[in-house]
Amino acid sequence: MATYDAVFTSLGLEDWCTEGKSDAPMSMAQLLSKAKGGEPTETSLWDLPFPSMDALNKACPAFPQSRELTKGLEEGFLAVKDSMSVVLDPITQPLSWALDGTLYAMLSAPWWIVIPLLLAVVFVVSKSWKLVGFVAASFVTLAFIDYYTYAMQTLAIIFVCAFLCVLLGVPIGIAMSRSDMMQRMTIPVLDMLQTLPPFVYLIPLIFLFSVTESKLYGIAIILYAIVPVIRLTNLGIRLVDKDVIEAADAFGMTPRQKLFKVQIPLALPNIMAGVNQTIMMSLAMVVIASLVSAPGLGVLVLRGIRNLELGVGLVSGLGIVILAVILDRVTKASLARINASQKH
Amino acid sequence: MEKDIKISIKHLYKIFGPTPDVGLEYVRRGMNKSDLLEKQNHVLGLRDINVDMRDGEITVIMGLSGSGKSTLIRHLNRLIEPTAGEIRFGDEDVMQYDETQLRKLRRERMSMVFQKFALLPHRTVLDNAGMAMDVRGKKTEDYEAEARKWLARVGLEGNENQYPHQLSGGMQQRVGIARALVSNAPVMLMDEAFSALDPLIRSDMQDLLLELQEELKKTIVFITHDLDEALKLADHLVILKDGEVIQQGDPQDILLNPNDPYIIDFISDINRARVLRVRSIMTQPDRDDIEYAGDITEKDNLETVLSRSKGDTSLTFRVVRDGQQVGALTMKDLTRALVPTEASSERDNRAN
Repeated sequence: MATYDAVFTSLGLEDWCTEGKSDAPMSMAQLLSKAKGGEPTETSLWDLPFPSMDALNKACPAFPQSRELTKGLEEGFLAVKDSMSVVLDPITQPLSWALDGTLYAMLSAPWWIVIPLLLAVVFVVSKSWKLVGFVAASFVTLAFIDYYTYAMQTLAIIFVCAFLCVLLGVPIGIAMSRSDMMQRMTIPVLDMLQTLPPFVYLIPLIFLFSVTESKLYGIAIILYAIVPVIRLTNLGIRLVDKDVIEAADAFGMTPRQKLFKVQIPLALPNIMAGVNQTIMMSLAMVVIASLVSAPGLGVLVLRGIRNLELGVGLVSGLGIVILAVILDRVTKASLARINASQKH
Repeated sequence: MEKDIKISIKHLYKIFGPTPDVGLEYVRRGMNKSDLLEKQNHVLGLRDINVDMRDGEITVIMGLSGSGKSTLIRHLNRLIEPTAGEIRFGDEDVMQYDETQLRKLRRERMSMVFQKFALLPHRTVLDNAGMAMDVRGKKTEDYEAEARKWLARVGLEGNENQYPHQLSGGMQQRVGIARALVSNAPVMLMDEAFSALDPLIRSDMQDLLLELQEELKKTIVFITHDLDEALKLADHLVILKDGEVIQQGDPQDILLNPNDPYIIDFISDINRARVLRVRSIMTQPDRDDIEYAGDITEKDNLETVLSRSKGDTSLTFRVVRDGQQVGALTMKDLTRALVPTEASSERDNRAN
């Protein structure tokens, strides 16, 4: 006897209920109550259960239990998975190549080429010897304690993913800035991507792609990190001084000229702020993505947690912090240079 | 000597709101601005504007903020689309232009100078000056000489490689003017071009504009809210109020014969002696035996004549053009012209 028996009897659904006698496996609670064999006592109003799927199932075995919902979702996903893979696999394959290629290139090149090259890049974007010194010291320290390979793996993944985020995100942001309709449609998706806990990205991806493929974590990182660059590109272009846009119109610029000669250059500080955020979020996600075989410092953190290797966990955590500081400082320095060149 | 009409606006209406056509019907039936806003929730931008702008003249459109003057100037190159009416450029109908023709108009035949300068902050002064050429697809080498020439002409020699934020407001607006000149368009639209500048620099810029105009004879449409500026620059003055033209014509004429209390209010504050010119008040001599105290030209303002007369009101001056006498000016007439037009009673009430 369950609380909601009366509902089904009053609706005249008793026959339907008993007809489809549930042969689903019993829950622990059911098993316990069966073992006790006690008559279910009259429940007071205080204990009235919410008419949830499980509660209704107790009264009417034909009513589905809530676990059948998740099961149905899973089965549905698995059913479409194969056909989705046919489309998604070839599209995303270049991502695997890019990740594998960059990882291979950065790891197989000797350290005495890679480190000076990275320092040269730092100097070109920041024009600051102080920053170059800091980055050099950081890399030397990481290499000295034998974390060089891991750090380079993490960096390689971030480079590829952040580059792709900018490549895809900036055009999406431009499209959003040009059409309010597009903006209305995109913002909920961005909100969802931003609020979804990072672990949740991994679940459907694991089913869609094989865990041995690098694109699995690549996609997870890109989905997670692309949001700020899209948002800030859109915002940046929408915030471009209306007077300057009017001047561009008055001198007969085509929409294309306006975009490349006025809007993008003037939105650049905002776009660069988005790139900075995107890089930082890639770093956050690359650590989590070590759960799905992303190489790098995240693997060491995971090892620290799994094997309770406190030292490894702490040092690799510190390594991630150092990388974060480097990436942040370098992108901020280049942002500051752009800002300085176009004061109003 | 009447010059050709370059731009002509006929029966132009502009109504802002969700259904301007409905608003237009009400306005045509005579609804006024505040009623339209209150009852129909539409804003009346412009009502039945008819203005002819002549080739080689400076047409000044003057009005206070909200009078629709900035809206009006933006109709000339269709940065704002009218609700109804006709805009003619020479003998072409601008309203019939498609996108390409419109772009051609904006690129080659109309340039614009803005109140807030609207320079590209990430480009150098030289690039900014050459913007119109750049838009037409010209390379920097092609327009560099031209841009340098005009930058030098507006007094910015040596600043070519600076960025706009390194220049003062007055200098930035000089770049704005150079940009309009480099485009070599016959028409220049100037939207409150000097309003953001301080009074001294503004006066300098007005002189610069008049000097350039003397030489280039462009058709200039100038928007301002400052009557002194309007009177200084205008060949043809259009006074707007609440989206309607309340008087237009020769500025001297408007000053001497204002036809609306609103204009009388406006002109009661200005220095008439400085603005009025001899040609507006001179008379034809009725006798030959007048004793002239000296020669003046018809372009002189009354202040100059006053200082020449040293306050003696019995004198008569001879007005000459190219050595020929064209009229005479008695100090009595001059004094009479300086009597301010009665300010409207409304204004007196306000003052009390």
